[in-house]
Amino acid sequence: MSATIAAAAVVQLAGAVALAPLIPGAVRAVERRLQGLRGPSPLQPYRELRRLWRRSGVAPVPRTAVYAVAPPLAAAATLAAALLVPVGAVAPDWGLGGDALLLVGLLALGRAALALAAWDTGSGFALMGAARDLAFAPYLEALLLAVVAIAAVGAGTTDLGEIAAATAERPLLSAPEQWLAALAFALVAVAESGRRPYDNPDTHLELTMIHEGPLLEYAGRELALLQWTAAVRQWVAIVLGVALFAPVGGPWAGRVAALAGLVAVAVVALAVSETAQAKMRLLRVPRWVGAGVAVCAVAVVLRAIGGAP
Amino acid sequence: MTPVVRVAPARWRETCAAAIADGGRLCGLFADGSGPTGALGAAVAAPDGDRLLLTEPRGGIVDSVVELAPAVGWDEREAHDVHGVRFVGHVPLRPLVDHPSPVDAWAARVAGRDVHQVAVGPIHAGVIESGHFRFHVVGERILHLDVRLFYKRRGIEAAAVGRPAADAARLAGGACGACTVANGVAAALAVEQARGLEPDAELRRARVVLIELERLYNHLNDVGAVCAGVGFAPGASLYAVLKERVHRLCARIAGHRFLFGAVAVGGGTVAVDAATARAARAEVDAIVAEHRAAWRELRFTPSLRERLVGVGVADRDAVERLGGVGPAARAAGVARDARGDSPRLAYGGFRPILVPGGAGDVAARVEQRAREVEQTAGLLAALLDGRLGPGAATPTAVGSGIGLARVEGPRGETVCAVRLAGDRIARLWLRTGSYANWQLLAHAAIGELLPEFPLINKSFELCYACVDR
Repeated sequence: MSATIAAAAVVQLAGAVALAPLIPGAVRAVERRLQGLRGPSPLQPYRELRRLWRRSGVAPVPRTAVYAVAPPLAAAATLAAALLVPVGAVAPDWGLGGDALLLVGLLALGRAALALAAWDTGSGFALMGAARDLAFAPYLEALLLAVVAIAAVGAGTTDLGEIAAATAERPLLSAPEQWLAALAFALVAVAESGRRPYDNPDTHLELTMIHEGPLLEYAGRELALLQWTAAVRQWVAIVLGVALFAPVGGPWAGRVAALAGLVAVAVVALAVSETAQAKMRLLRVPRWVGAGVAVCAVAVVLRAIGGAP
Repeated sequence: MTPVVRVAPARWRETCAAAIADGGRLCGLFADGSGPTGALGAAVAAPDGDRLLLTEPRGGIVDSVVELAPAVGWDEREAHDVHGVRFVGHVPLRPLVDHPSPVDAWAARVAGRDVHQVAVGPIHAGVIESGHFRFHVVGERILHLDVRLFYKRRGIEAAAVGRPAADAARLAGGACGACTVANGVAAALAVEQARGLEPDAELRRARVVLIELERLYNHLNDVGAVCAGVGFAPGASLYAVLKERVHRLCARIAGHRFLFGAVAVGGGTVAVDAATARAARAEVDAIVAEHRAAWRELRFTPSLRERLVGVGVADRDAVERLGGVGPAARAAGVARDARGDSPRLAYGGFRPILVPGGAGDVAARVEQRAREVEQTAGLLAALLDGRLGPGAATPTAVGSGIGLARVEGPRGETVCAVRLAGDRIARLWLRTGSYANWQLLAHAAIGELLPEFPLINKSFELCYACVDR
């Protein structure tokens, strides 16, 4: 068993550190193919990271330590979140515990660090993006908590490892409330990873940016770190969805293979949904999140009718 | 023959008021010459034909007409900054071409609780022309927008002075890449009128083909640009392909993808044999068939419709007051299209089309363009039915040395006035559809959220270079 835990730790680290930038790269590559364009290789984010890493940085004046601390803090919080998420229903102990609420908190910490950095520079576009991010954060976090709560009720614990283990054992065609929660989670995952219709990761229009706004004030290695962090957030969103809701049993190696397959499915699904719809109006976001809340409410009702498992 | 009405400076305001009361429209105002000896001209589009009002203000001081026609607000500000004309009654006369540093010197003061400013540009995150937008906002809501352009003024009008009259079309055509034909034809017509030349039927047809090809690629581009503005990539890709096909067609017909150099004064430069013309017609038909299918898809894409409807309204009143032109005016239900009164071009029996409802929002402006693509295809099909051009302009009268022309370009009418001194240009004045519509765009942004502005901007798709002439 300890070998499995060690292997799971390797998958977590490799996934978060090395493979995460492949997700936005692959989504973009698939999207471009769907749109009849040739597009860049899925490895393009790595090239961009390398380019940024080699560049010297410039920083706005005046600034305080908040500006300098934000990128490593956001990166560390997001990496810690990635290490909390079980892979193949196995959660190595990194000394962080395994509570789902901690995960929500770490994601919020990453968001807060960038918002504070935006305030630190005082740049209009950075502040605008940060203000929008913070304005929608309560809705998104509440929905994420509701989704996690439904999953937790199913497993009888808020420990991510145990939730994942319970999910893995569940028969495929049972617990409709969990499938509804998975649907609501998909909405949160799209928003948390900053993709259309919530945000447009490809835009160069400063006035429309949400996640990209605070990044405008960074350059060089710090920007590379933040872009990598954004990729890890997408990785966390997808892998967390699999851990919470994909009832894949069997041996661990098989579950990890299924994880890889499901990540690929998520990439294609993101590409299709981004191609099929325009970015939504800013003030539609709460309504969109409201749809997720409604789905969660139905899930709760189903759960109450169905009774305890 | 454009009547030139010379007006005593004391009766300037009164004459302009009378022209407007008679159903005319001031479509531009310009200074001719600087300082105390300079003259002032105003182009009037009246039901009985265009005319040019001219006055010679004493000491460079004249009554402002901005309250009669807010549409010429920018013209007066430019005449003041560049030629030193002083307008009595234009208060405050804020600098337009000059760029003083304190914001209060050029932008409106907006005061109140929680009001703050957001400055965008002149350097943008993407490859966009230079323009500075000063938003006065509360939170995300736009209260007022001041636009500061003229960053890359090239002095084309000043450079034209003393050049041979034959250079007018090339100079005006160089003002902007996307409406080079409309600007060039306007200048050519103005010079021909000043010399008493009348284009023959061949030349009229050839010029209309060029103008409509230019409109075709611009409108296709603008529909795609709105899709790109809301992150709807399939629409942007489809229309990029269609636009590219029109560019290739332009290259086959006129030897240049953007139709540069295709307009000349006094004659045509484009000659197309019957086989090429028919092939071009088939290609236009094929492009428009694809446009029709693509447009149907776009109309029934809910996430796209939801972004466009009700956003960035420039309604009929605003268009009339601020002198809006082109698709933006027609989308608000104002049947203003210079093609309908272009006797020196082959637009016989032309009637502008208007989108139903005339809501004047982003959706209406996009739909207006989509419909005009079909209308343009119809015009091209009728004209590309055989050999084309080159044609010539023949003398019919003794020229008065002053000419005026209006030509409907992709973004609205280009107005061009020319005064010749012998064979040379003494004054070349160019006012494009973009110039006319910038004030309308600033109006349409009021009350909207900041993130909607790029979309509203794209739905007008105004040109900065046309202003930086």
